[in-house]
Amino acid sequence: MVLRFDWRGLLDRAIRQWRGSLQLRTVALTLVLSALAVTVVGGYIVTSVQANLFDQNQRQVVAEAGRAAVAAQKVFTTAEESGGTDDLEQVKSDATKAVQNITSTTPLIGILRAPGQTGQAPLIDSVSEGFSPQTMVSSDLRATVDASEQDVASWQSIAIPNDTAVDPGIIVGTLLHLPQGEQYELYIVYNLRPVQDTLDFVQGSLLLAGVALVLLIGAVAYLVVRLVVGPVRVAAEASEKLAAGELESRLPEDGDDELSTLARSFNRMADSLQSQIGQLADLSRVQQRFVSDVSHELRTPLTTIRMAGEMLYDQRKGFPAATARTAELLHTQTQRFESLLADLLEMSRYDAGAVQLELEPTNLVRLAEDAIETVEPLSREKHTEIRLIAPGGYFEADVDARRVRRVLVNLLGNAIDHGDAKPIDVYVDSDEDAVAIAVRDHGIGMVDAEMQHVFDRFWRADPSRQRSTGGTGLGLAISLEDATVHGGALEVWSEPSQGSCFRLTLPRRRGDELTGSPLGLPPEENP
Amino acid sequence: MNARILVVDDDSAIAEMIGIVLRAEGYEPSFAADGAAALASFHATNPDLVLLDLMLPGIDGIEVCAQIRAESGVPIIMLTAKGETTDVVRGLESGADDYVVKPFDPKELVARVRTRLRPTPVSDTDTVAIGDLVIDVAGHEVRRGGARINLTPLEFQLLLALAAKPQQVFTREMLLEQVWGYHYKADTRLVNVHVQRLRAKVEHDPDNPRIVTTVRGVGYRAGAVT
Repeated sequence: MVLRFDWRGLLDRAIRQWRGSLQLRTVALTLVLSALAVTVVGGYIVTSVQANLFDQNQRQVVAEAGRAAVAAQKVFTTAEESGGTDDLEQVKSDATKAVQNITSTTPLIGILRAPGQTGQAPLIDSVSEGFSPQTMVSSDLRATVDASEQDVASWQSIAIPNDTAVDPGIIVGTLLHLPQGEQYELYIVYNLRPVQDTLDFVQGSLLLAGVALVLLIGAVAYLVVRLVVGPVRVAAEASEKLAAGELESRLPEDGDDELSTLARSFNRMADSLQSQIGQLADLSRVQQRFVSDVSHELRTPLTTIRMAGEMLYDQRKGFPAATARTAELLHTQTQRFESLLADLLEMSRYDAGAVQLELEPTNLVRLAEDAIETVEPLSREKHTEIRLIAPGGYFEADVDARRVRRVLVNLLGNAIDHGDAKPIDVYVDSDEDAVAIAVRDHGIGMVDAEMQHVFDRFWRADPSRQRSTGGTGLGLAISLEDATVHGGALEVWSEPSQGSCFRLTLPRRRGDELTGSPLGLPPEENP
Repeated sequence: MNARILVVDDDSAIAEMIGIVLRAEGYEPSFAADGAAALASFHATNPDLVLLDLMLPGIDGIEVCAQIRAESGVPIIMLTAKGETTDVVRGLESGADDYVVKPFDPKELVARVRTRLRPTPVSDTDTVAIGDLVIDVAGHEVRRGGARINLTPLEFQLLLALAAKPQQVFTREMLLEQVWGYHYKADTRLVNVHVQRLRAKVEHDPDNPRIVTTVRGVGYRAGAVT
């Protein structure tokens, strides 16, 4: 298995964090900008200190080397004048000593025969330990030195290798004129390690100071932002709570600054919102209560009327024709009144949010069979065939069977009503997360404008159309509520003269979010 | 002798109408308009069945139901104007055997009354054993060892229905048909609540039932004879 680091996820999270936190943004920006400023200033300081130190040292050592060269030349010249040139090696040693006397530190000294001279060398090249003519003396320098006037020093920066690293250094070269016109080059190599150390120390201190400064500025920015963002965040949380319906949510008001003003105006806004919502809620509660009370109050007399009507209806055979018909009308209209009242009460229960689900594991195919059986008398009367199409699968879901059956019976009733006696297909299908039932008729269908209103209360497709189920006009509105309270969906598709399809999709488990439906809308028809 | 039925409802019109329906079926109704009168009338007439409205002035229907149930196993059918879940369950839990929702069909009411007054079906065996209980079918008694356990007629029928076929799993619908006489989809809470009440009386540990066991997702079954 290849483990792959989730760069994308990390990046997304970082971007979210960045966009989501003003505090983070401010502190980060402050840090970056102050780091930039500190770098520029520090860089300038380091560069100028470095240049100064180097210039000064360079001038010093070149001047010193110049003096040393003069002294060495003098030793040779004196030796020549006094005729002491026999032991030229001794003279050279004296000259070296003179150089060493003049130089403050202990530089490396090299005396090399200038190239381009023939004949036997009067002196062998001598170098002090650590002086490497091949690496330290460049051909450029040699050429310059060879071409230079007497007592004029030429110099070059070089790297002096030591045990572990390379030290910076300066090599100063002058031309020595020996007796017999021989020319030798005197090289003095100064190690600038102490200067470099000083420079390193300055740089280190500056870096430390710079980092400390940046961190300090960052901390200050963090504190300041917290002072400002803190209350803003509290305000945001309070607004969030308010939006979520916690109308009691308020901000602490202390002080007279801008943030306290914000808090005060926020609280005033919340007060006014709360009182207005409270008024609306009271109104709506009163209204719902009224509907519910009226429905209850109507039930008692309705029960008596219904029983009386039933008794008369049962005895209608013995009545004169007109009275018998009256008993029949009383009977049917009482039933209609009753279902209207039941629907109204159910609707008011939904409006009041007083609906509780009785969930149990239910097989939706069984439920569909059940609903089809329930509407069987009606479908027989309308000569409508109802076909159940369930392609298999696992149809159990946690639903309130009573409500789902009510939805199905209602959809089937509508389908029979508007189905033109053509066959009605009931599809049941399921996937991992959801179960769906679709009721498809092949009747007159609806135009778009009608379709938009099917779930409206008391809306009727076409007032002139004959109805047989004597629906209350609340059926689909209640069905929609039934679906919604399950966390499900009830959707409609319709085409004029093609028929309509209502699809109920319910999550398999309570609280699951619906992402799609196992069935198409309308479901594909198999020939 | 005709069965006597106590009708408790504060609405006189509905009470009278129920009276007419019951008389037409050959029952003998008596009436009470509030809770206190209902209890007094119950003691005076000793009815065979009580039709009880849940919304009563004074002592409310639930309380009346609980008080009657405390001293008698007489069948109680609630008349409820509310189809509300909590009211029905509270009524059943306080001891009502069945309920009808207003507005109801008089035939439906009569069918409910008739079922509750129906004698226990005659069994070909005299005694049935379930768990460590013995049901004396003819004597309408349930005993554990020598001790008699008091069950209402409904609870007795429920236990007997389960015990008569010890291997069979009964769905709630089957029990609704056998014990309550519903031939269509009815409220399965009737079964749930009464199984709870029955367990409270017959189980050693109602939370861990051994006599009436639940078969998850299906229904109930009688426990093995021990």
